[in-house]
Amino acid sequence: MQSNRLGWILLAPTLVILFFFGVVPFFYVLWLSFHQWNPFAVDPNIIYNGADNFRALVFDQGFLSSLGVTIAFVFFAVLSEVILGYFLAQAFMKEFPGKAIFRTVHTLPLIMAPIIVGSIWKLMTTPSIGIIPTVLDDWFGYDLNIGTSALAAFTVTVIMDIWHWTPLVTLTLIAALASLPADPFEQAQIDGANKRQIFWHITLPMIAPALLATVFIRLMDALRTVDEVLMLTGGGPGSATRYLGVHIFKEVFPKTNYGYGSAVSIIVLYLTIVACWLLYAALIAPRNKKA
Amino acid sequence: MKRQRTWLYLLFWIAISFLTLFPIYWLFVISVKPAVELFSTPEIILTKFYWQNYIDVINDETLRGYMVNSLIISTGNAVLVTVLGFLACYALSRFNLGGKESIFFWTITNRMAPPAVFLLPLFLLLTQVYRFGDFTLLDSRIGMILVYCTFNLPFAIWTLRPTIDGIPKELDEAAFVDGASAWTVITEIVFPLARPGLAVTLILTWVFAWNEYLLAATLTNFNARTLTTGLSEYVTTTGTEWGIMATISVFTLIPALIIFSMVQRHIVAGLTFGAVKG
Amino acid sequence: MKLALKLGASLVALSLLTGGALAQDISIENPDWWQKAGEQFDGVTLRGVTESTPASNYVADVLAPKFEELTGIDVQIETTSWDQMYDKAIKDMEAKTGIYDMVYLEQDIVYAYLARNFLVDVTAALEENADLKAPAYSEDNFTTFAENFRGENGHLYGIPMEAFIKVYLYRKDLFNDPDIQAAFKEKTGKDLKPATTHEDYAEIAEFFTEYGKENNMDLWGTTAQAHTGHPASWYEYFESIAPTFGVYDWGIDADNNYAATVENGGSMNSDEAKAAMKWWLSMRDLAPPESVQSTWTEVATTFAAGRAAQGLVYGENAAWIATDDSKSRVVGDVGVALPPLEPGVMEAAESGEGYIGYYDGGAFGLPVTSKNQNAALLFMQFMALPEIQEDWAAAGSRVTLTSTYDTPKVKQVDEQLGGYYTMLRDDGRLFKGAPPYPFHRQVIEATTPIFYQILTGDISPEDGLDQMAAKTEEELTNLGYRK
Repeated sequence: MQSNRLGWILLAPTLVILFFFGVVPFFYVLWLSFHQWNPFAVDPNIIYNGADNFRALVFDQGFLSSLGVTIAFVFFAVLSEVILGYFLAQAFMKEFPGKAIFRTVHTLPLIMAPIIVGSIWKLMTTPSIGIIPTVLDDWFGYDLNIGTSALAAFTVTVIMDIWHWTPLVTLTLIAALASLPADPFEQAQIDGANKRQIFWHITLPMIAPALLATVFIRLMDALRTVDEVLMLTGGGPGSATRYLGVHIFKEVFPKTNYGYGSAVSIIVLYLTIVACWLLYAALIAPRNKKA
Repeated sequence: MKRQRTWLYLLFWIAISFLTLFPIYWLFVISVKPAVELFSTPEIILTKFYWQNYIDVINDETLRGYMVNSLIISTGNAVLVTVLGFLACYALSRFNLGGKESIFFWTITNRMAPPAVFLLPLFLLLTQVYRFGDFTLLDSRIGMILVYCTFNLPFAIWTLRPTIDGIPKELDEAAFVDGASAWTVITEIVFPLARPGLAVTLILTWVFAWNEYLLAATLTNFNARTLTTGLSEYVTTTGTEWGIMATISVFTLIPALIIFSMVQRHIVAGLTFGAVKG
Repeated sequence: MKLALKLGASLVALSLLTGGALAQDISIENPDWWQKAGEQFDGVTLRGVTESTPASNYVADVLAPKFEELTGIDVQIETTSWDQMYDKAIKDMEAKTGIYDMVYLEQDIVYAYLARNFLVDVTAALEENADLKAPAYSEDNFTTFAENFRGENGHLYGIPMEAFIKVYLYRKDLFNDPDIQAAFKEKTGKDLKPATTHEDYAEIAEFFTEYGKENNMDLWGTTAQAHTGHPASWYEYFESIAPTFGVYDWGIDADNNYAATVENGGSMNSDEAKAAMKWWLSMRDLAPPESVQSTWTEVATTFAAGRAAQGLVYGENAAWIATDDSKSRVVGDVGVALPPLEPGVMEAAESGEGYIGYYDGGAFGLPVTSKNQNAALLFMQFMALPEIQEDWAAAGSRVTLTSTYDTPKVKQVDEQLGGYYTMLRDDGRLFKGAPPYPFHRQVIEATTPIFYQILTGDISPEDGLDQMAAKTEEELTNLGYRK
């Protein structure tokens, strides 16, 4: 084993960059969250108001309903993406003609900027002029209206997210599956294990770190989703798709409510960290220590 | 039997590809229709092509500038974070650094921040604190490359860690015993084995930087504006230029596809065996 | 003739390609004065931020190069989206960074900026620097729209660059069709002509929506800017519908401690406001299905696609709807009229107590944080020169100087547009911009969640407006305006 000094040197650039561009802004936002600041209030100055912002949050109906729909959105979107992404990654492990082409096709949605994804899906789903409502109406007599039906709008945002981000899960899992050693699988087959046993006892534990890393990334990205939803529904109808990212965006940009917006962000950040830490502490950290 | 399987696979992939491609096909449909035709009962098959949007986009010099900025920023950022992430993961994986698991977890928290609020401190830092004489990081490519590290570097570290951990330690220990330097071990033993993970990381971080909008919109003005900020210029009070936006996106697919196909080969090259049974 | 019109209409598109060439065509009086005035600013680059509207693009593509040619001062205009423009200008001025020498002032944000002393007093600055005052520039040239950009001292804080009114557009081809006229007469007993009252408007809307259904056409009786997640719907109701029912300034009484509820002396939840909301919702139900996803953009496109027989459309879109056949199917069929009103509203508007619709537009302002204020003053005067207005008006359907109405190109477009410019000149005084509050977007964002629920039917219009009025007072109390 080399001296730890080399380890710190290798780690240093990462730590320095994240400190200057991640930690310093974080402390500014943390500081701001204990202040009242709207540049277009009668008093445009930054005024210390203790924990008032956080106290107000607990009773803020807008924030709570946003938190609720966000959790539902993240749950359905991320769960579907992980399951779908895993099966697609497994399917890509097999050899079949045209595999490279299919893989490239499958990754195409990733290259689309969220603002464009939102625009396409808006044009595809706008009532009466979008292709999806038209086809659903012609073939099944189903009236899909994302402008009036909360459920329709919610479902479309979830499907859009799945369409856009499943390839990310597939790609990271391909990398994980590709680097698995062959021996345990061969041994298991010799021992006569069936497919399900192999999955639960060998594949899953071995790709768990990569799988969880992917879940984390998708989880936190879905929590921050702004552009796509803003473009597709604007957070509507009503507040049906006003996810936390959109909620904070509206609080900070048009409303210039910087103090309160900071408090919301800090809480969201805190909740994300806690959720991820629990998952992490339970599933990955012990493994890494052993390694 | 075997043959039948192959057909099933093909059928499966064609179905999946249809679902994946349909919105992209629709993007193309939007790009070759005059705006007014978007507001009528839609037809799936295209019969007429309207190329004016393409002519407008090709002739627009400003957009070419945005494209160059986007390419430089996302490629620069992706390479930077993949290299730094690789080194950081090697350090986390192979050394007994105090509190390394906390550091590892802490890195990812940088990606969790909802971006809207963090724009303000970043704007202040870039204009007023991180400056060298008259040069500020605001509206500069290097500034954007560094800012994008906040969400891409954690991503790189988290996707590379399982890969590096998965490379048997015995390999580098054996090399050290043979008298190899740390540099040799990292570049000649760990690096080749980590190639699939590195390729995936490079692609995905490139994609995140390429698509980023909010930070670029706030932190660039004239010199470092990217394509996504250019796209937003077509969402205005007098009309959203769906056609032009779609056309620009069609064009952005081209460099992205080139980079993808260049890097994707390494995912395959890294495969140590054909298939995983399971 | 036709060709000239087409050219005028697609000037924006052309100017992207040939901006330099077009700039050559504008002749400026007194070029020597400009050259001399520019000499002291050798090497200066002016930076402006604006929304990428046709009028602004004309500034960036045509006026800026021309100005540079004249004075040697380089002008860079950053065009961006509506949201971003505000955010960037505010961040710059708040943090005193001094990135921008000119910022776009939409008529509704200027009061917020004035309240924060973000802007340079242009009138005073030109008095102090007499050598910078261009001979051809005069504040007297502006239309009444410039009043929106005056501070409490009566001085000008922004140079108007675009101005529009939100008008009632109708389809001349449908309204003048003898068969349709007969059918309408048979059904309603009335002659088919542009409505002047809400009742008439509703009758026409109903007729055409049914007519479209019966004849299997993609045609509906009205437009509606009724997005259920974008503040465009809020704007349509408060700026275009409520005033025609006699509810002005969003129903907030600024002189009465910013009251919004009827209880405290406001009118946001008055009976008139509720009647307006119900009428508007009933029109929304007659409008094409996409209306629940429509902002100003989609409303204009809906009308341009020939899907609505009548509607309220922003003036900046009226021009391309009526003239640009690459974007519109109703070229030559567009009629313009004043919005339908309740009895008494016109009288109130004539006397100056009320107004009948929204006067929209923007100006360029000079931030106090700018490091090149004097050079920026030159460019801002340049934008207000009478000799550059004609092509700009044709390209962006905007008029800010009274003399521009009489130029040949504007007269030509006016004819094609069913008299829109004539209306802007003669009846512009009946329209009014957004109320002079420094808290526009704060109140809008506070109340839109309730407003959207009214639109989706989750709460009744009555309850919704009651809640909105209460929420408005709460927000204004938080901000410190309501004591």
